Amino acid sequence: MNAILLTILVLPLLAAGALWSVPAAIGDRLAAAYGSVISGLVLVGSVLLWPQHGGWFAYGPHDAPATEIDVPWIPSLGVRFHVGVDSISVPLIVLTALLTFLCCLYSLKITPRIGRTRSLIALLLVIETGVIGTFSALDLVLFFVCFEIVLIPMWLVIDIWGDHHDAAGRKRAANTFVLMTVFGSALMLLGFLLVQRVAGTFDIVELTSSPVAGGHGIPLAAALLIAVGLAVKVPLWPLHIWLPDAHAKAPTVGSVLLAGVLLKLGTYGMIRILVPVLPDATATIAPYLGAFSTVAIVAGSLACLAQTDVKRLIAYSSVGHMGFIGLGISTLSPAGLRGALFANIAHGLITGLLFFLAGAIKDRHDTSDLRAIGRALYARLPRIAALLTFACLASLGLPGLAGFWGEMLVLLGAYDPAPWLPRTTFLVFMVIAGLGTVLTAAYFLRLVRNLCQGDPAEHPPAAFAVDLSRIELITWAPLITLTVLLGVWPGLLLHQWSAL
Amino acid sequence: MTLTWTDWQAIAVPLVLAVGAVAVLLVDSFWKSASAELRHTVVTLLTSVVILFGLVFVWAHRDDFMPAFCRSAVEGPAQCSLVFEPLTAGLWAVLLIGGLGVVGLSAYRLLAADVPVGEYHFLLLSALTGATVLAGARDLATLVIALEVVSLPSFAMVALRRDRRGSEGAMKAFLVSVLSTAVMLFGISYLYGVTGSLYLSTIANRLTGLDPDLARVAFAAGLFVIVGFAFKIAAVPFHAWLPDTYVGAPIEVTTFLAVVSKSAGVAGLLVLVTSGIAPTGSQLRTAVAILAAVTMTVGNLAALRQVEAVRLLAWSSIGQVGFLLAPLAAADAQAVVGYLAAYVVVTLGAFGAVAVVQRHRPGGLLADYRGMVRSEPGLAAALIFFLVVLAGLPPGLAGLFTKFAAFQAVIDAHLGWLAIVMALNVMIGLAVYLRWIAELFRLPADDPFSVDIETPAVTMISLCTAVAAVLSILPSIMFALAT
Repeated sequence: MNAILLTILVLPLLAAGALWSVPAAIGDRLAAAYGSVISGLVLVGSVLLWPQHGGWFAYGPHDAPATEIDVPWIPSLGVRFHVGVDSISVPLIVLTALLTFLCCLYSLKITPRIGRTRSLIALLLVIETGVIGTFSALDLVLFFVCFEIVLIPMWLVIDIWGDHHDAAGRKRAANTFVLMTVFGSALMLLGFLLVQRVAGTFDIVELTSSPVAGGHGIPLAAALLIAVGLAVKVPLWPLHIWLPDAHAKAPTVGSVLLAGVLLKLGTYGMIRILVPVLPDATATIAPYLGAFSTVAIVAGSLACLAQTDVKRLIAYSSVGHMGFIGLGISTLSPAGLRGALFANIAHGLITGLLFFLAGAIKDRHDTSDLRAIGRALYARLPRIAALLTFACLASLGLPGLAGFWGEMLVLLGAYDPAPWLPRTTFLVFMVIAGLGTVLTAAYFLRLVRNLCQGDPAEHPPAAFAVDLSRIELITWAPLITLTVLLGVWPGLLLHQWSAL
Repeated sequence: MTLTWTDWQAIAVPLVLAVGAVAVLLVDSFWKSASAELRHTVVTLLTSVVILFGLVFVWAHRDDFMPAFCRSAVEGPAQCSLVFEPLTAGLWAVLLIGGLGVVGLSAYRLLAADVPVGEYHFLLLSALTGATVLAGARDLATLVIALEVVSLPSFAMVALRRDRRGSEGAMKAFLVSVLSTAVMLFGISYLYGVTGSLYLSTIANRLTGLDPDLARVAFAAGLFVIVGFAFKIAAVPFHAWLPDTYVGAPIEVTTFLAVVSKSAGVAGLLVLVTSGIAPTGSQLRTAVAILAAVTMTVGNLAALRQVEAVRLLAWSSIGQVGFLLAPLAAADAQAVVGYLAAYVVVTLGAFGAVAVVQRHRPGGLLADYRGMVRSEPGLAAALIFFLVVLAGLPPGLAGLFTKFAAFQAVIDAHLGWLAIVMALNVMIGLAVYLRWIAELFRLPADDPFSVDIETPAVTMISLCTAVAAVLSILPSIMFALAT
C-alpha cells in the first residue's frame, strides 16, 4: 500500500517533467492522451488505497494496517516526510484523481483556444500531485509545502489559458488568487510554528493523540492564524473576494479543479488540523467560524441572485456551499463533521459538473454572459440544458441527490452542536442556514428559468453543430452517476466516518 | 607576539587569497606575450584554485575550533581577534562559493571586453580576503579593517569600465561607504570608551554590568555600529546608493556586489550580534528587527514597480536583506547562514541568466524576456527556478525552507509582529517575481530571444540550478553549514 501511495504522489510529477521534455509540437498533440493515461493510473491507485476499516489516525486503536510512510527530511528544523491516508483523506484523494482524470479526458477534444496543451496537461498533473500530497500529509510542514505546490501552476493555468477576451482581467484574477492564498498560507505557517513551539512537534498524528490544550493565549493565536489561513482557501466570507474572478476567468478545466478540489484543501485542513490539534482553541473560535460561515451561506446566495455571468454565479454558489461545510465543522459534533466531509465530496462532484456545463455553454456561445446567451436553452441545446437542470437541482440539495445529505447533516449538527458550544447561537445559525437553502433554491431555479426556459420562437435554435458531444458525455457520466449514487446510497461514504 | 601554529591555520585561507590576488595581478601584468584568451583562462584558473583551496580547507576543518591571536584577559576567557569555528566555516563556505561563482561567470567571453582582467580578479580576491577575515573577526578593530578591505575593492570594481554610469555608481558607493565607516568608527570609539575593550567577548561581558547611564551610551554606540553595517548591506533607509550602483557597474561586478559584498556585510553583522554587542533581550535586537521589517517592505514594494531586470533584482535584493535581518534580529545563526547559502546560489544563477540576455539585448527590460519559455527553454526554466526560490515557493523549496527557518527563528524570539510583516512580504515578494515569470511564460512576441549561449555561462547556470535543486530536495545541507 505504501508503494501505491508513493506512486500516486510521485507519478504525476515525474510525468509532468517528462511531458515538458518532449518537443512542443509533438507534446501538444499527445499531451491529453498521455495525461489521461497517467491520471487514469493515479485514479486506479487511489481507489486501491480505499481503506477497509473506517478510522482516523490516532483516534481509536491504531490496529488497522495504516498506509503510512514516515522518514526524516530536515532534522534540524524538525520536519519529517510523513504521509499516510485514512478514511478522511482517501475519498478526497479519489475525488482529486477522478476530476483530474476527467479534465485530461475532456482535453482530448476540447482545449482552450490558445493551445499549448502540453503545458496545460503538465500543470494539471503538478496540481494533482500537490493536492494529493496535501490530503495525505501527516506533517504540518509537509502539509504547508504541498498546499503551496498548487499555487504557481494554478496561477499559470488562469493567467495563460483563461478567458481569451479579457487578458487584463484574467491576469488580475490570477494574481489576486495567488497573492491572497500565499498570504493566507504564510499566516497558516505562523500558526503551525506556534503549535510547534508549544507542542514541540510538527507531526499531525502525534499532535492528534496529544493535542495542544488551552483555549487562550498562544494556542488561541495559533488557531486563529491557521483558521484565517485556511479560510482564505475555503474561501470563507469575507475572504472570498478572489474566488468569483478566478473561477470566471479560468478555463473550464481550471474552474473544475479549482472548485472541485482546491477549495477542499481549506476545509480538509480545518478537519485534519484545526479541530483535532487545537481542540480547546477551536472551541473558542467555533461560534465565530459558524457565524462567518452562516453569513457566507446567505451572502453567497444573495450575490448569486444578482449575477449575470453563469460562471460567476456558480462561483458564488460555491461560497454558499463552502459556508455549509464551514458551519458543519464549527459545530464540532459528529453529525456536523460527517456532514462537512460528505458535502466536501458532493460539492466536488456537483460543482465540477456545473463548471463543465458552464464551460460547454460558454464555448458554444463564446460568452458566459446570461443576457448574451439568451433564453430557451431547452429548445436549442436540449441535452445540455437538461443536464444543467439536473446539476442545479443536485446543487440546491434535492433529496435523492448527493447535495442533500451533506447539508442535512450539517443542519442536524447545528441543531445539536458539541456540548461545550453555545447551543442557542447554533440554533440561530441553523435557522439562517435553513433560509439559505431556500435562497439557494431560488437562484438556481432563477438560473434554470432564465437560461433554459423561454419561448423558443424568441431565441431561434442557433446552428450548433452538436448538442452534447461524445467526449462531453463520457467525461460527465461518472459525475452524474456518482451524484445519483451518493444521493441514494449515502452510507457508502458515511459508514467510513462512523468512528468520528 | 609570536604567531602560533593555530594562528597560522586560522589565517591560512585569507592569506592564500591575498597571495593569490598579488599573483594574479603579476601574471596579468608581466605576461603580455600571451593571447587575451590564454591570459584570461590562466587568471581564471589561478583564482579558482585559490578559492578552491579555501573551500577544501573549510571542509577539512569544518568541526574545528581555532581561536587565533589570543591574549589572556583580566577577567573571563582569553580574548581573541580571529576565531575559526563552525559558524565561521559556514560563512566562509558561503562567501567562497559566492566568489567562485562570480569567477565562473566572469570567464573569457563573458566578462565585458573593456574590463581589465588582472585588476578585476585582483580586486575580487582582495575583497574575498577581507570578507573571510570579517566573518572570523572577534574584535572591533579587525572588524572595521576587514570591512574596509571588502569595500575598497568593491567600488574600484564598479568603476573598472571607466564610463560615466560606472563612475557615478562607484562615486555613490564610495561616498556612502566613507560615511558609514565614519559612523561606525564613531560608535566603536564610544563603545571602547564605555567598556574599555575592543574584544567582542570582553565587551559582551562588561556590557551586562554597566550602570544605566553608561548603558544608554553603549546602546547609542551599538546603534551607530549597526547603522554603519546597514549602509554596507543597503538596509532601508540607508539603501539609496544601491540601485544606481548595481545598474552602473558591469553585470559581473553587480553579481559580485549582490553575492559576496552583501554576504560579507551580513556575516559581519551576524558576528557582531551573536557574539558581542547585542545580547539576548537587548534593545539593539529590536532595532535590527525594525530595520528588517522596513527593509523588506520598502525593498519589495519598490521592486514591484521596476521594469528593468537588474533594477528589479537590485530592489528585490534589498527585500532579501530584510529577510536576512529578521533571523539575525533573533541571533539565529543557523537560519541566517542557511538563508545566505540559498540566496547566494540562486542570485548567482539569476544574474548569470540576466548577463546572458543583456549581452545581446543591452536594454535589459523585463519585456526582453517575453516568450523565452519557448524560444530558449533551458535558460528560461533555470531563471524561473531561481526566481521561484527567491520568492520561496515550491518548486523552489530551498527558498521556502530558508524562509521557514527565518519564520521559526522570529517566532521563537517572540517577535510576532515581525512575523506578520514577513508574511505580508512573502506575498509582495511573490508579486515581484511573478511579474517576471509571467513575461517568460507569455507566447513569443515577434522577436523572441534566442541565441547561442556561451559554454561557460551554460556550465555556471546549470551548476547553480543543480545546486539549488539539491538544496531544495535536501534542505538540511544548508542548515548544517553553521552547526
